[in-house]
Amino acid sequence: MSSVYLLTLSQLSGRWRLLVMSVLALMPIVLTESLVLVPSGASVDEFELIVLNTMLAGSITPLVVLAIATVAFGNEVEDRTLANLTLAPIPRWQIVVPKLLATVSVAAPFIAISALATSHVAFNADATATIAVTVSTLVGLALYSSAFVWLGLATTQAVGVGLLYIVLWEGFFTTYISGVRLFSIRAYSIALMHGLDERRFADTENLGFGVTVAVSVVVFFGFLLLTIRKLRNMDVP
Amino acid sequence: MTINSEPVVRVDHVSRWFGSVVAVSDVSFDIKPGITGLLGPNGAGKTTLLRMITGLADVSDGTVTVLDQPIRNNSALFGRIGVMSEHETVYGFMKGREFVKIMGRLRGVSDLDAAADRAIELVDLVEASHRPMGTYSRGMRQRMRLAATLVHDPDILILDEPLNGADPLQRVQFQDLMRRFAADGRTIVLSSHILEEVEQVADTVLLIVNGKLAASGGFRAIRAALDKRPYHVRVMSDSPRELAAAVVTLDSVEAVNIDPDGAIVVLSNNVRALQIELPLRAEAASIRLFGVEPMDDSLESVFGYLVDG
Repeated sequence: MSSVYLLTLSQLSGRWRLLVMSVLALMPIVLTESLVLVPSGASVDEFELIVLNTMLAGSITPLVVLAIATVAFGNEVEDRTLANLTLAPIPRWQIVVPKLLATVSVAAPFIAISALATSHVAFNADATATIAVTVSTLVGLALYSSAFVWLGLATTQAVGVGLLYIVLWEGFFTTYISGVRLFSIRAYSIALMHGLDERRFADTENLGFGVTVAVSVVVFFGFLLLTIRKLRNMDVP
Repeated sequence: MTINSEPVVRVDHVSRWFGSVVAVSDVSFDIKPGITGLLGPNGAGKTTLLRMITGLADVSDGTVTVLDQPIRNNSALFGRIGVMSEHETVYGFMKGREFVKIMGRLRGVSDLDAAADRAIELVDLVEASHRPMGTYSRGMRQRMRLAATLVHDPDILILDEPLNGADPLQRVQFQDLMRRFAADGRTIVLSSHILEEVEQVADTVLLIVNGKLAASGGFRAIRAALDKRPYHVRVMSDSPRELAAAVVTLDSVEAVNIDPDGAIVVLSNNVRALQIELPLRAEAASIRLFGVEPMDDSLESVFGYLVDG
């Protein structure tokens, strides 16, 4: 498994990709610093809606993960190097799991630093709030990773489809139609944040903590299994 | 030679279609130890067939077994198989030696350094092995891919157009290498659309045309089978009616039609004989021939090979 993991890390660590991710990860920090510096400032609710919910959980995290995860298999399908792996005497899950781990490994530092710095600045170094934001964002990252790694294998138009998903589903539908939040990774991330720091982020609109944990596990492993199944059944180019 | 007679690869009534396009149609054959050439014009279905033999693609119908086991999703078998596809499946950022080693590691090779050294020496790329593969010529990439295919010392080699990009010296070295492997009792399947490549090295030939197995056996048998296959041949001349009358009595001709544009279409059951007899009959009747061409496009290139050969 380590060979596939290290190989995927090399493939994902392109200079331009890392630069774009750095810029994306900086954006919530810069915005938070601006909000803190403005005398009128923003309330916790406004900050949560604008920075944590819409920006960090709904845009930056999925965009960073999309840029990484769709490449994990997408590039190998495109340049036909996937056969180097599928023609090795290793089961399919030993190809999929290290690729997913590599995706998380590359994306997580950017998102973790972004979430950590953003919440640290916004909540005056409150440890509970900072941990709640960082952990929930990383859980969201893991879920997006699982979904987008599958997407990169399922379609050659993964980036386009992923962008539509982020804008339409995560950005639009889950904002205005509360019923679909059960199927939104952004909603899971926010609900986890609420659950981890109920004192600061009390909100009855979100999913319950227990339900969110259960659904997150199902989504993560569900997409993982779908990816393994897809790799077993597909014609490898 | 330690070759036994048991089939190593068995393709049984295999078909593969993509939507309404039939790429491979009801093909059956066995492959035994030694060198088997998969020959056919471009687009004949060779690569699809090889992809099904390696399990990379699924069959629409029929079965493929390797060493008596289904190949599809049978990852354990790949410890004994080396596959080189027709595409340049290399990582440009990686050095040649790293590529061979990582392929060896994925295939469970224990002494990686020794195995990589041996494989790279076999393809004569020791000096270039410490350079990134992105700097290699096409022929060098092919050879390094061959080294990566050989690194785990497989019993079965499946090579799709392995000589693409190779210069004449490399072709000779490759053929020598394959003969040595075959002498060790290994099974080698190599595809090519170039007749001479296969003819010089293969013990057995499978001729694929239009997704079907057109002929199989030794090279002489293939040539004979192709010669006996009915062909439509279009002949342009200055006197089509007289030419039709002159050739219709030939044993190699089954039927003759005259096209509205003045050409005659000959259905021949022995195109090699027709090649010899047609000009003689035309000359005897003082008829000038302007052109002779096979009408079956899918066989045209094979026909050309045979004529040139």
